Amino acid sequence: MPDLMYILLAGIFLPLFPMSMVFNAIFDKVKYAWLRALLIIAWPLVGLLLVLNSDLVIPHWVMTLALGTSLLYALRLLTLREVNQWSGFLATSLWGLLWLTLFQGDSAVLIIWFAIGMSLPLVLLVLLSAFLEKQFGAAYTDLYGGLARTVPRFTAILITVIMAAVATPLFPTFFIMFDMVVETVSVMPLYAMALLLIWLLWSWAGARLVQGLIVGRQSKVKVVDFGGPTIGFYSIVILALAFSGIYMGMVIL
Amino acid sequence: MEQLILLVAVLPLISAVLIQLFDRPLGRSTARFSVAITTLSFLLSAVLLLAALTGEESQSLQLGNSSAILLFDPLGTLLATIILGISLIVHLYSVRYMAEEAAYGQFFVLLDLMTAALLFMVIAGDLITLVIAWYLVGVLLYFLLGQDTRSQTAYRFAFWTLITYRIGDLPLILAAALLYNAYDTWSLTVIFNQIVANPDAHQFLGFSLTDVVAALVGLAAFARSAQFLLHTWLPYTMDGPTPVSALMHAGIVNAGGFLINRFAPVFANSGDVLNMIFIVGLLTAILGSVLMLTQNDIKKALGYSTMGQMGFMIMECGIGAFSLAIYHMFAHGVFKGTMFLSAGSVINNARDNDGIPKDELYTFAVEKQPNKARKPWLLMAAITLAVPLVVLVLAHLLIAEDYFQKQGAVILLFFGWVTGAQLIFATYRMRTQNIWRMVGLSVLSLVVVVLGYVFISHAFDLFLYPDPAFRAQLYTAATIDILRFDVLVAITALIIVSGWGITYYSEQNGYRRQKNKHLWLNFYALISREFYITDIYTRLARLILSISARLNIWMRWL
Repeated sequence: MPDLMYILLAGIFLPLFPMSMVFNAIFDKVKYAWLRALLIIAWPLVGLLLVLNSDLVIPHWVMTLALGTSLLYALRLLTLREVNQWSGFLATSLWGLLWLTLFQGDSAVLIIWFAIGMSLPLVLLVLLSAFLEKQFGAAYTDLYGGLARTVPRFTAILITVIMAAVATPLFPTFFIMFDMVVETVSVMPLYAMALLLIWLLWSWAGARLVQGLIVGRQSKVKVVDFGGPTIGFYSIVILALAFSGIYMGMVIL
Repeated sequence: MEQLILLVAVLPLISAVLIQLFDRPLGRSTARFSVAITTLSFLLSAVLLLAALTGEESQSLQLGNSSAILLFDPLGTLLATIILGISLIVHLYSVRYMAEEAAYGQFFVLLDLMTAALLFMVIAGDLITLVIAWYLVGVLLYFLLGQDTRSQTAYRFAFWTLITYRIGDLPLILAAALLYNAYDTWSLTVIFNQIVANPDAHQFLGFSLTDVVAALVGLAAFARSAQFLLHTWLPYTMDGPTPVSALMHAGIVNAGGFLINRFAPVFANSGDVLNMIFIVGLLTAILGSVLMLTQNDIKKALGYSTMGQMGFMIMECGIGAFSLAIYHMFAHGVFKGTMFLSAGSVINNARDNDGIPKDELYTFAVEKQPNKARKPWLLMAAITLAVPLVVLVLAHLLIAEDYFQKQGAVILLFFGWVTGAQLIFATYRMRTQNIWRMVGLSVLSLVVVVLGYVFISHAFDLFLYPDPAFRAQLYTAATIDILRFDVLVAITALIIVSGWGITYYSEQNGYRRQKNKHLWLNFYALISREFYITDIYTRLARLILSISARLNIWMRWL
């Protein structure tokens, strides 16, 4: 298969605009939370397997397109209000950056860990979104608000997961982004600047999502907050995520 | 000693984790637990500070096999003690102040995490720990400011803080990445030793790496310390709880001064960047003070007052007086923290007793009635200008005879002189029966303040930068061409003295230029709208959001 065709095919799974739209179209159609979670974990791995098992030499323009795609989706993320769609767009923005690690020639195992580290917080977010859909009928920002007063335990988990997704220390994505900046700043300073801009947009989008969901008066709808076991489950996963982030940081930095 | 270092750093973290886990069973006792742990941590850090003061060498501790290093050098030890001291006061104050809050336990978790993040920031001995702590301070402050989750306004302005802090994180990350690529280590001590040995060893895009890193660190400091153009978040973040405002104004906002001090070996070799820092600090000090004077909202006025103070602090770094900036940070922290924490009592007292005595100060400051019976103005002008100068010069001569050889010292003296003269000038204008008594008291307080400032700042200098050669290098790096310097000082002095003269002349003759009235009104409008900077930023943010929304519509949300 010619390289260009191969890149176009891989660009569906490791998002390159406009092939990136395929994932978001499919993700939008999926109604089951478990299937969404599975898609988020599996999608970039398929792309990585395609590229890693080929002799593909990644041309420079692919890196530029990948960064452009990531930037585009980070910018579009700012005005999304539906939590699942938000997760899909952030995933697109994150996975596009995997092309950089492929270009830099990092080891296959490490890149796969990067992909999983980036995707795991989004899996949790999709599951949390399912809780909102079940309780309120939709997972929208600025629709009901006041989750901090209505479901405080759920909110604590939600905030931590969103922070993990937008590359806050000590979660894996933070160290991955830091590593990418370290790798690019001396040889391709403009790419490093673009990475930092993308990172900033994620933070902005994350804060808008948090504010749209948690701020406001207590909801009049009767809602059941997370129970002890659910809190325990999420706390353990989040802690594991943070420790894996620290470990990843020790390995790559 | 190593165990002690580790304990100081992790105690607030342990407290946060335990409160989070046992919030329900502990109930309201969480606060007392948090206070106890902070007290213990403060006492331990005081022990470390005492050891440092008695000549104990700097201690560093590597965490396992990681690159993370905790560094207890004079700067880290001193600031850790100050942070824990302020945090302890805020903790104590919050025990009752936050008692009505629904998320009482959560507040103390956040407060402990913030204390831990600030501690790790000042004792970080490597770039990764420093960047992580620097970043987390912004995130935690966002949630502390948004403690009242019912308030959209609180979150709106907490977001301004977050986004400004995130903008400030980016240059620090870039600086860390550049330093690592150049020196192949994350350790600050190793990097600084190599920079001192050979400052021009590396280049980046044709510039000296030292200059690039200094500029990036400076930018990061500007965002954190609300320097002009990155200041808009500070006056508006008053919707958070009072203890958070106190912590923010007394501690967090000072982080810029700390960062510049931490990278002192870099700045000692980047004179141009120090000059730039001086200009930004000066501009911030002037604009912050002007904006403070024109606010009709007392909270915003306090915010702008902090901005002005931060301008002075950064300016001090810009003239090479690094340790003075740390002293300023400490003094301002205590002063502003007290103001915030006593605000409630003042309001309560005012409610109980609104009969403010119409003494000399009241009639002068509130009713704006200057003294009608004046002494000979030439004599008063001479006292106004000469006394502060004599006091300052004599006080400085006591600590070092060659003090006036340094440009930075002259600038500081100049500002001290202007402030002192302003104080006596204001005293003179007050309605009083005994003008000599008032002037005498003003001069006495000036002498006490100047002597205190001179000796304490000198003590800070000796403790933080014991090597006289390095201290001299910092001042030398900040030096500008002597002719340009003299001209600048002369012009500034002329402007200030002319300003006083015009004010005196106008008030003496009741003379106002009618034709300039509209100009003054426009100027006042410009200041009262805060130079339209917040409006511009809001427009810019809306533009970005509208582009984002339009793109989503065009691409059918895919």
